[in-house]
Amino acid sequence: MFIGHFTEQPWQKEDWPAAWGSGVMEVSNSEYDPLRASGLYNRYLDEKVYAEEMGFDGIMVNEHHSAPFCMNSVANVTSSILARITQKAKILILGNILPIHDDPLWLAEQIAMIDVISKGRLIPGVVRGGGSESLTHNVPPHFNRERFEEAHDFLVKTWTTPGPFRWEGKHFHYRYVNPWAVPLQKPYPPIWVPGTSSRETVEWAARHRYPYIMLASQIDLTQQMYKIYYDTAREEGYEAGPQHLGFMFFFHVEETEKRAMEVGRTLTQGVRSPYDPGAQRPRPYIAGPPGIATRSARALRRKMTAADSSGRTRAGARATFEDQVATHGMVVGTPDSVIPKVRYIMEQLRPGTIIFRTGDGAMDHESQMRTLKLMGEEVMPKLREIADELGLPGPYDIDPRTNEPLAAMAS
Amino acid sequence: MTTTPAFTEETLDIAGTSLQLRRGGSGEPLLILHGELGVPDWLQAHELLAKHYSVYVPSLPGFGTSSFPDWLMSVRDLSTWVSWFVRAHGLSTPLNVIGFSLGGWIAAELATANSHIFSKMVLVGAGGIKPREGEIWDYFLHSAKEAFQQSFHDHESAEYLKYYGKDWTPDEADQVETNREAAIRYLWRPYMHSITLPDLLPAIATPTLLVWGRQDGIVPISSCELYKEGIPGARAAVLEECGHMPEMEKPEEFTKTVLEFLGG
Repeated sequence: MFIGHFTEQPWQKEDWPAAWGSGVMEVSNSEYDPLRASGLYNRYLDEKVYAEEMGFDGIMVNEHHSAPFCMNSVANVTSSILARITQKAKILILGNILPIHDDPLWLAEQIAMIDVISKGRLIPGVVRGGGSESLTHNVPPHFNRERFEEAHDFLVKTWTTPGPFRWEGKHFHYRYVNPWAVPLQKPYPPIWVPGTSSRETVEWAARHRYPYIMLASQIDLTQQMYKIYYDTAREEGYEAGPQHLGFMFFFHVEETEKRAMEVGRTLTQGVRSPYDPGAQRPRPYIAGPPGIATRSARALRRKMTAADSSGRTRAGARATFEDQVATHGMVVGTPDSVIPKVRYIMEQLRPGTIIFRTGDGAMDHESQMRTLKLMGEEVMPKLREIADELGLPGPYDIDPRTNEPLAAMAS
Repeated sequence: MTTTPAFTEETLDIAGTSLQLRRGGSGEPLLILHGELGVPDWLQAHELLAKHYSVYVPSLPGFGTSSFPDWLMSVRDLSTWVSWFVRAHGLSTPLNVIGFSLGGWIAAELATANSHIFSKMVLVGAGGIKPREGEIWDYFLHSAKEAFQQSFHDHESAEYLKYYGKDWTPDEADQVETNREAAIRYLWRPYMHSITLPDLLPAIATPTLLVWGRQDGIVPISSCELYKEGIPGARAAVLEECGHMPEMEKPEEFTKTVLEFLGG
């Protein structure tokens, strides 16, 4: 079992107008107060260091752009700092947004340096990004998938092929690829892929034997996506297992049930990710500019939407704090009450990786630190026992690339 | 007076595409190149022009029900495609052309490279040139509905109400999105203009009329001035109280202006 920790690193300010929602391409950066930001960035870094101290296997970071709900607009910056100020935890980037880089060689260099400085602790995950990422960095949404795949292939070649070599692709062109820095991990750092509900992304991850981490905290939807992974793996000639699959969900734990519910509720308040249940979505043409989904994916989505309007309620629509607690999208309680709930998730999904999303929304630093402490002292040790009992190896127990045990690296 | 539109619509396997082609009328060919929002129908302006010409309205690759080959990546590719279509379909050249917005840019590109293909050229609210004043309105930071609102000065005009100022059926909405997908591939960056076209405009030898709505909310009228300065002998006709789509907003006035130029 691999246990990760994640915080979206939201902008926090009491007088955030409700109309601004997640703030994605809605708010001028004249609202950005660098002094407040400095405090928040350092707070979130302190929390990550403490999470490592409490025994998390991995510290996850991500990035979004022109998006106050995620202050971390450059995942590689935070990862670089973590490479130096942490000692043991994996640094899990989920992920670098490959299509928005016009110069993926620079990205290859950054990742190689972070891997080397961290002494081989980097997991440089990759994502396609949302519409706002393409719009803000002005890269063509209609080539999003092509650029994602070509940039990935370029990164892997750059990390595994002695230079210099030449790259003449469709979207990227280099006459001299020979970066001095190459990664420490061989053949190249493990790539993980997060997703929400894109079939194409799950299939791509499975074809590459990259662990797929489901970010949408919905058990039924996750089961559907995992099935696609298992099916694709069989088509590729291997058997997928827990080491290939992960699940992220909201979490808060306190000494008493009453306090857990009171404070846990702040996860659904403040500047929230637009991808969270019940949060205000970006305008549709921002979330999904023309062409970012292929025409076939758009047709499929239209079919699914039509099916939904026949009366079936999607889990994502169940949005209140109480609803999310009831559907295991949020696990909130005391150490004694949360463990059976997490066990239920582990039994239902059989993931080898679980990522706890804590301290998000409007939650304050002290509450986040309390929850991390209780997790380290009381929750995680029991969950590791349960994972062993259920037979849920993580990607550092069984190598997802070969399905061979990785005993020497097990945590 | 009402007339019954007389046109045919067919799908042709031509010029590397499966092409949706509307045509009507008889006489010399007149090629219509639609704008970046596509063309929803056989329009009143097409009907008026078809009384004098054999009017051809292809849905450009990616628009309407035309296929969208991967190799078409730029407006210059599209202009080459138009030349291919004209030859492959056996249209006699030189022929008259009217290009709307994106279509105007395509026609201008083609005319810079080939002085023999067009007899006369009408560019209407044409994209392709970065305006001297103002900016080209960004379709992709707005919804499709907002795009049509922005394109019309008069939101009570008949064809605005008929096609855009209403709730779309799922199929209509899907077609709008399909057209936006095509537009985004051709127009993404630099947004809706070419860096090199301004310097190539003096190469145009085709007699050219520029038609602009005074209240064009998409391509500012200062682009019209730059086209006029760049294309030798170009004339400009500005329609008052009119937006980016004069052919739909003021079809009779627009058609009259164009016919005077083509026939003169």
